[in-house]
Amino acid sequence: MHRVILTAILMLAIAFPAAAQRLNLDFPGLADRADEVVDVTLDAAMLKLAAKFLSGKDSDERAVRDMVNGLQGIYVRSYEFAKDGQYDRSLVDRLRSQLGSTWQPLVTVRSKKKESVNIFADMRGEMITGLVIIAAEPRSFTVVNIVGPIDIDRLAGLEGQFGIPRISEKNRD
Amino acid sequence: MNLDNELRNTLRRKSPAPGFAGRVLARIEEDDARSSFVSKATDHGRRWRAVAASVTLAAVLAGYASHHIAEQRRIEGEFARDQVLLAMRIAGAKVRYAQQEVRAIGTDRTEEQSSIGEVDN
Repeated sequence: MHRVILTAILMLAIAFPAAAQRLNLDFPGLADRADEVVDVTLDAAMLKLAAKFLSGKDSDERAVRDMVNGLQGIYVRSYEFAKDGQYDRSLVDRLRSQLGSTWQPLVTVRSKKKESVNIFADMRGEMITGLVIIAAEPRSFTVVNIVGPIDIDRLAGLEGQFGIPRISEKNRD
Repeated sequence: MNLDNELRNTLRRKSPAPGFAGRVLARIEEDDARSSFVSKATDHGRRWRAVAASVTLAAVLAGYASHHIAEQRRIEGEFARDQVLLAMRIAGAKVRYAQQEVRAIGTDRTEEQSSIGEVDN
């Protein structure tokens, strides 16, 4: 009997290893104050649908399709403001307070002039099963919540694709 | 006088040949049966035409509905794909920026403060 229960628990653990956390990304009134708002909400069903429309011939889209497979959700909120001080900087702390014990800070970049970025990963052993990116500037605020296993290096490698030049290429100019 | 006799003979009532009424009735019944068959055949044809029209209409409607659903799904799929690409582009840009800032530690960092992990300078 004990063996059956143990097997069931083990099977559940195998079946749901990446039950990563989805953050509450509701910021009441923030969108009204922003000049530009990006709101992306993609659950598992939408990601599955999107994957069908990502071209297998295009290498960039193929890379995204590979990354999206296995994800349970992608949520992005990005706000651009006309002037400084349009959002409460404590939003970052409020988001951090939502993260459970399995979340670990990967990178923290603090800058007075440029962008401050906090990257947190939901670590289950060696595996990253969720990612939260919080980027704050005086006139912009961005949160990305990726739910599911994600390769952060591949994610970083995506910039510069889809017709957007890489930062290094920009710098060369 | 001859004319009177001829007229009288011509207009004289004559009894029909035996079995005349029976033949007339039989003919009438035969005509009825024939017209009934033609009428039935016409009804049958009309019914088939109605069925064919209904099937054609149903096929056209089903085809339209199927096309509409497929078109709707294509629009939703392309929208979802664009949203994924946008989300990945934003996420990728932020991660890359953070990586570059981390790599820049130890170089020209007079005004900036960067840290890895929980270390916060």
